[in-house]
Amino acid sequence: MNPLLLFMIPFLPLLGGVFNACCGSRLPQRLVAAVAVLSVAGSFLFSLLLWPLGEGDGTRTVLFSWLQSGGFTADAGILFDPLAAIMTLMVTGVATLIHLYAAGYMEHDENQARFFALLNLFVFAMLCIVLADNLLFLFLGWEGVGFCSYGLIGFWYRKTENASAGRKAFIVTRIGDLFFAIALLWLFREFGTILIEQINARAGELDPLLLTVLTLLLLGGACGKSAQLPLMTWLPDAMAGPTPVSALIHAATMVTAGVYLLCRMFPLVSLSATGMAAIALVGVLTALYAASCAVAQREIKRVLAYSTMSQIGYMFLAVGVGSVSGAMFHLLTHAFFKALLFMGAGCVIHLAGDENDIYRMGGLKGKSPQVFWLFLIGILCLAGTPLTGGFFSKDQILLTAFARGDGFSAILWGLGVLTAGLTSFYSFRLLYLVFFGEQRQAEKGHALSPLMLWTLPLLALFGLFGGLLNLPHLFGGHQWLSDWLGQPAGVSLALGAELGLLLLMLIFFGGGWLIAHLRYRNYPGDEQAGWRSFLLAGWQFDRLYEFILVRPYRTVCRFCWQGGERALIDGVMEGIARLCLHWGGYARKLTTGQVAFYLQGFAWGLLLIVGWFLLSAVK
Amino acid sequence: MTITRRASPVNGFTTMATVIFYILGTITVIATLLAITRRNPVHAVIYLVNSFFALALLFYLLGAPLVAAWEVIIYAGAIMVLFLFIIMMLELAPTPAADRLGPTWWQWLPVLLLAAALVACTLLLIGLDTSAAQGIPHWYATPRDFGYALFGKYALAVEVVSFQLLFAAVGAFYVGKPEARSSKQAEEEGR
Amino acid sequence: MIVPLEHVLFLSTILFVLGLGCVLARRNLIMILIGVEIMLNAVGLTLVGASAFWQQVDGQIMVIFLMAMTSAEVSISLAMVVYLNRRKGTVDVRAFDEMRG
Repeated sequence: MNPLLLFMIPFLPLLGGVFNACCGSRLPQRLVAAVAVLSVAGSFLFSLLLWPLGEGDGTRTVLFSWLQSGGFTADAGILFDPLAAIMTLMVTGVATLIHLYAAGYMEHDENQARFFALLNLFVFAMLCIVLADNLLFLFLGWEGVGFCSYGLIGFWYRKTENASAGRKAFIVTRIGDLFFAIALLWLFREFGTILIEQINARAGELDPLLLTVLTLLLLGGACGKSAQLPLMTWLPDAMAGPTPVSALIHAATMVTAGVYLLCRMFPLVSLSATGMAAIALVGVLTALYAASCAVAQREIKRVLAYSTMSQIGYMFLAVGVGSVSGAMFHLLTHAFFKALLFMGAGCVIHLAGDENDIYRMGGLKGKSPQVFWLFLIGILCLAGTPLTGGFFSKDQILLTAFARGDGFSAILWGLGVLTAGLTSFYSFRLLYLVFFGEQRQAEKGHALSPLMLWTLPLLALFGLFGGLLNLPHLFGGHQWLSDWLGQPAGVSLALGAELGLLLLMLIFFGGGWLIAHLRYRNYPGDEQAGWRSFLLAGWQFDRLYEFILVRPYRTVCRFCWQGGERALIDGVMEGIARLCLHWGGYARKLTTGQVAFYLQGFAWGLLLIVGWFLLSAVK
Repeated sequence: MTITRRASPVNGFTTMATVIFYILGTITVIATLLAITRRNPVHAVIYLVNSFFALALLFYLLGAPLVAAWEVIIYAGAIMVLFLFIIMMLELAPTPAADRLGPTWWQWLPVLLLAAALVACTLLLIGLDTSAAQGIPHWYATPRDFGYALFGKYALAVEVVSFQLLFAAVGAFYVGKPEARSSKQAEEEGR
Repeated sequence: MIVPLEHVLFLSTILFVLGLGCVLARRNLIMILIGVEIMLNAVGLTLVGASAFWQQVDGQIMVIFLMAMTSAEVSISLAMVVYLNRRKGTVDVRAFDEMRG
């Protein structure tokens, strides 16, 4: 197999995106959607076909040298190793399904060309991140997904909230990107190369302190992209975009890019104990924070957004406790069931007549049993119901944390288990509020497009049986994913301990479900006050940032604007201009338009010159 | 390039030529002065032709017979006649407006001052340079020398100038071409 | 030794300044052009005088070029005069002051 074929994987979505961007608006909408879907599907087929290339150490291939300056080289190169292979397959597969779904979801929108162009470009940029063999190329994709995310969150830009949500996402993630960019430059300075393989191989040469700093910088970048503390405020607002966008970008792929980056740089990251601890801590705190916020949310997509944040927190925890396979395992299962949940939420919103508030839904089970069952599967996975994909992946992470045995890990583990209970609670709360009880929405919903419905079962299947990817030995599995990634799980607990932990998880899951069942089986009508409004507003982080960052910044800006630009620069410039205008008024009288006048000017000039000659001759 | 030098053997000729030079110079200045003060452009042109004839003779005296011939043929013969044609074509001479166009004393005054200053400066400048006080030797350029220099050393310049003449002809044709619309208007006004 | 070079230069200076005066003082376009011709001839006289003084033929060749240039200039400028006269019905330069600031 020609390794250069690997370039077809990112190239096809790029082609589709450029095609739709250039001439999509003049083509029939169906064709636009078909081009978008087919290009991503083709990319998926290629990644299936080229799967063998990813075995072992993987394949590195270079299409052309992108930038070269002195000792610095950046290639348009691909590193197709097991990690990238599995991620590519997930990204293209989920993206294909979501594109199909989007074709149904957006069928009445006028701007399909723009939508699908951005969506395809997003897939291209995401694949750049996944496949890049050097950090700069990865960074290109990193910024590309940021831009596409911005464009898609604000897709319905005529509403001001949507546009400002897009801006917020762009600016907040940009803060993280800055850290990543610094890390990139620093790594180049230390190693003289930006090839991921070489950096990882030579990471041991670095000073431990420097290593910690670099790890923290990478963590900062990952935090921005993956909406982790403290750069997480953009994700709930990003739900302003169309639902397929939320499913693709803000659940399955882009937000997991941070986790992927840390996994990609794991050999470097893992060398710094402090850095690893920080990653784990950020992860578990975010998981807890987001789960607590999700408990009080009212909008269906915001609940899911917070749950995404929380689940990604788990992935960070997995990386932090040193289990890349755990992180990737959870990333995969999460991608499936969260895409499923978002797309189910899209169906729910359609059914409820464009209603977002779960307090005004209810009783949708009778309206569309199919959506209910699919959504239920998603909820079960999210809540970590035993034997679903989400259960196994989450369990592996917590198990790994527990198995480390030290006090710090025990705290991490405890917080993780607590979060699992919260997760179970808010998942079932969502389910009960949306599907059970009496109907509370006023408007009549509209019918679902078949495309929307028929893409969901596949994802449900993957979510439900995703656990098979990395089934622990306890359940008779072979931990295929860990072997494939070449990262043996390395956890060996006594059978009793493992079973005990499972039991504990079960108890927390059951507890969460029970509370939700008792409270939300019939809609109680929550008061939005006290701690609930605190949680609803995401612990008031937005207001905190407003107070400590935005407002001082705005003050400085206003000073620069009014004092610096208006008064000083404009004043001086306008003063000079006014002076010129004033004196120019006098000079204007010199241009009489009379030829004779000008000629006389010449003549006097001639006299001057002759006089000058005369003077120098006399001398 | 060979230049024919002829020592002037005849003293009488030199004296004669000197006298003729001053006479011609006077004629030139007077004719020019008359030309520039005429109110009627036709008269001005006629006086100027006079002045140019005198100037052509001066050129001859200064050893440039070819230039003298061309002065008569091109300047007095062609260019000035062109002026006359234009003046007659525009029917400027007989119009009473022409009187108004003539110079009045307050127009002349600053110009006179300027001219006086210029003349004074230049004459002083010339006078200060003693090397110019030497006499001009009696010498003239034969047509042969002239032709060799013009088409040998200055061949490129000749080409350039001929191109310029071509451009000028095209330009003059373009600028002077009556516009279709304006001529129609003129016809309508004429009715 | 007909005359000293000085005298030729005096003569051409006077002619030049006469032409200049004509250009500056007259308001008739045709007369301004005539003034230009006088100035050009004064320059020609200087060139011929210099040519004779140094006994070099180059000065005279410059006069030939001068004449060629002049005929080009005159043909263009007279065409302009015709054009301007067609536009405004006059050849008074004071009428053409559209460039006034």
